[in-house]
Amino acid sequence: MTSRSEIPPWWRNRRYLPWLVQGGVALVIGVVVAFLLTNLLLNLTARGMLLSWSWLGQPAGFDLAETILPFDASLPYWRAMLAGLVNTLRVVIAGLVGATVLGTLIGTASFSSNGLLRKLARVYVEVIRNIPLLLQLIFWYFVVFLALPNGRDALHLPGIVLAKSGLFLGSPELVDGVWQAPLRFTVEFGALLTGLVVYTAAFIAEVVRGGVASVPRGQWEAATSLGFSPLLTLRRIVLPQAFRVIVPGLNSQYISLAKNSSLAVACGFTDLYSVSETTLNQTGRAVEVMLILLGSYLVIDLVISALMNGLNGLVQLRER
Amino acid sequence: MASTAPLVVRASPLRSLQKELFGSRLDGLISIALLAALLAAGLGFFRWALFQAQWAVLSANSTLFAVGRYPIEQQWRLWLLTSLLALATGLSWGLLRAFPGSGAVRALWPRNDRWAAAILVLLALWRPLALNLTLAIQVRWWGIAGLMLLARWVAGRFGPAIPQACRRLIPLLWPLLYLVGMVLISGGLGLVQVPPSEWGGLLLTVLMATFAILLCFPLGVLLALGRRSELPLLRWSSVIYIEFIRGAPLITLLFLGQNILGFMLPGGLTPDRVWRAAWVLTFFAAAYVAEAVRSGLVAVPAGQLEAARSLGLPVPLALVHVVLPQAIRVALPATVGQFISLLQDTTLLSLIGLLDLLGTARTVMANPMFLGKSAEVYLVLAILFWSCCAALGLGSRALETRLNPHSPSAPQA
Amino acid sequence: MTSSPALMIEARGVEKWYPNGFHALRGVDLCVHQGEVVVIMGPSGSGKSTFLRTFNALEDFQKGSIVVDGIEISDDLRRIDAIRREVGMVFQQFNLFPHLSVLDNLTLAPVKVRKRPKAEVERQALELLERVGIAEQAHKFPGQLSGGQQQRVAIARSLCMEPRIMLFDEPTSALDPEMVQEVLAVMQELARDGMTMVVVSHEVRFARQVASRVVLMADGEVVEVAPPQQFFTNPQHERSKQFLSQIS
Repeated sequence: MTSRSEIPPWWRNRRYLPWLVQGGVALVIGVVVAFLLTNLLLNLTARGMLLSWSWLGQPAGFDLAETILPFDASLPYWRAMLAGLVNTLRVVIAGLVGATVLGTLIGTASFSSNGLLRKLARVYVEVIRNIPLLLQLIFWYFVVFLALPNGRDALHLPGIVLAKSGLFLGSPELVDGVWQAPLRFTVEFGALLTGLVVYTAAFIAEVVRGGVASVPRGQWEAATSLGFSPLLTLRRIVLPQAFRVIVPGLNSQYISLAKNSSLAVACGFTDLYSVSETTLNQTGRAVEVMLILLGSYLVIDLVISALMNGLNGLVQLRER
Repeated sequence: MASTAPLVVRASPLRSLQKELFGSRLDGLISIALLAALLAAGLGFFRWALFQAQWAVLSANSTLFAVGRYPIEQQWRLWLLTSLLALATGLSWGLLRAFPGSGAVRALWPRNDRWAAAILVLLALWRPLALNLTLAIQVRWWGIAGLMLLARWVAGRFGPAIPQACRRLIPLLWPLLYLVGMVLISGGLGLVQVPPSEWGGLLLTVLMATFAILLCFPLGVLLALGRRSELPLLRWSSVIYIEFIRGAPLITLLFLGQNILGFMLPGGLTPDRVWRAAWVLTFFAAAYVAEAVRSGLVAVPAGQLEAARSLGLPVPLALVHVVLPQAIRVALPATVGQFISLLQDTTLLSLIGLLDLLGTARTVMANPMFLGKSAEVYLVLAILFWSCCAALGLGSRALETRLNPHSPSAPQA
Repeated sequence: MTSSPALMIEARGVEKWYPNGFHALRGVDLCVHQGEVVVIMGPSGSGKSTFLRTFNALEDFQKGSIVVDGIEISDDLRRIDAIRREVGMVFQQFNLFPHLSVLDNLTLAPVKVRKRPKAEVERQALELLERVGIAEQAHKFPGQLSGGQQQRVAIARSLCMEPRIMLFDEPTSALDPEMVQEVLAVMQELARDGMTMVVVSHEVRFARQVASRVVLMADGEVVEVAPPQQFFTNPQHERSKQFLSQIS
């Protein structure tokens, strides 16, 4: 019989092995990170570009194609990036609203009594999901929005004018061949928004469909036997229960949309990423720009997650 | 004696169609509106496609779309690779049919296969003609299609005759083919080097996608295991990595790869832009695959690992033979979904200046000769991507059925 | 009588605390000799399953010592692997591998751990399946079998590793009543063939007919150890009387 005081060698010692494994992994990670960082510092020093933030105060030297905040080339870089961030938030918020509305409509259409509507909803989801978003964005921008007529030939509805130069709301009037109106959206914004909404709606439709499908059949039957119409059942009985499953799924789709907004550069829309790219090309300050960029998107994601988690808390059933 | 069997009233197809579309007044109105809209859209599209669209832009640039600026005198290597791919696909297809999963009935040419073969023959005949390719190239495509079908028939017919020992080597076919393909494409071993900057079009897209898909899966599995580990360092490292990647848009990471990666390596060592992007794609996808696999790991009951350990299996063997097979089966739909996303994400390479399929398309359309013909090109690109992604989705569902023949929740084949 | 039967399990002063501070085992002792069938009974939460699982190192313990088949449980992974090869375990939830056929369930461990040739292991597996009465299910998958059949496969799976001790953790608690008997019959036959068994179970009739000794555990301690005739008819301890009145 072997005695207890004999400590087994380290490679088969149950107590030491976890620490050794972690130590080994920590060593590997440490070496790799140290290697990368050292090289980074060396290379940056060689170019005289160590980490600093003072360059943010220098004049930008470029104009922004579209911005809500007043901006011109003489204003500092940080103003440019802020304008870009505001643009990103604009398109993200509008996109979230639009995609949710469209996605919910399509998702609930899969339960319609009309066979054609159900099929179309299915086709929409299957087609949109399998075509790359970038391709769809480019399609909307180059093939649809840029092909809009301009000037006098623009599409004119009461209070709304849709032209190549943008979407004009309010009371648009033609001044010297150029449309003017109190509220104007560029085609770049329009194309990006349309593309994001159409694409994300397909995924949200699936989330909604899954949520509604998760409500037990018995709920529908009980409601019908109580005399509820299908629409009332959906609104008051099924959807509230479906939300428990839908809200977590929506969280990831919303974050996905926020990240996809960075493809604005393909539509010529000056969002945060596009401004950052220009800034980097001009100043060469790759590390700082990257930190700002990644940090901003991280904050956006965290805010969305926090809001959705709050919503989730509201929506979960209070159980014993 | 009168028959006591109940009368089954089977609705005629017309009757059920009527019920579906015109069940209520509201439904009827909706159906009419939708049908009218579909008809109008459909007619408009066909009118455009047949009369206004100019498809010459595709045939004139077919080589560019297919392989980018790959040197013409070296393109025979790509033809060889395509033939090998066709051969391997045909063999795999045939062997899948020759050894059906447990419970399935074996048939040499099931109905789905006959449809697939017919479509293949149709494509092989129609596409070269449509693209106005020279006869030499047309013949090559017919040859390749024929080779695939022949391999399929041979594998299906003679597959069961392969000895057991050789059967184990069959899954090695594809990784081997991948290595051979890399040598053929890039050079080495006596072949002329073709630098990555000359790869383009469909070649580059497929290469990037397969590279990233092959590598992100094992990485993702390791990350998922790390995230579930009890050792705090492993768990936190995995969590930090996964959450960092998931919080960043892919384009920013690609950008990071192009700009900052060069600073992080010593002196003159700058790997080619293409490889930098390929590795970024891989590490990006690995984080998402890790999440998918993790949900699979969570679904495996703890008792499985306990039973394996109590039988004397050491932890690595228990993971490989008991836990991971079950976890991956559960995670398969989500994982293949990530692969599909990865394929779509390769289009972002065009935004960092690489000439993948989309990038090539944009340079073609910048050519003044083809200005304004964007719709035709984008339509074809959309169809191409859609078919690949849809095919992957179908393949995933088929694989799911095959792996879970006795699961109560398995989709019926 | 030539020599007394070998000591298969010797547990002395075993104490276990869970990370949250709960004192699960408060100094338990047990000796199991070769060929004995020890049935451990007790109210839920008494620590009987936990104690059973310390014998093949599925649960660790902070104080005391356990020697299984001459090997002491320590931090040495090699020793733990050796113990696990000699000790078979049957779980309440069967824990069959659903992605493998019944035959593959049995052959996996002997082939990978004992490195035996597959054909030989398959032959033995089929014999074992015959012995537990389900040879014809060899190529089915666990999901296609009833609970009783699955548990019998689980027993056969452990036996395929040719263990010297078999542990049973409430083997019939998850079964429908009509299937309990078929599993107990297999266990009974195993005992008759001389297997050393430690069984955690509520089945009184099984304990009466098969057990060499019955152990009552409560609140992490061994309350009483006695042969079944004595235990069930004339329990000594107050707690035992209380327990027996609750289950009959």
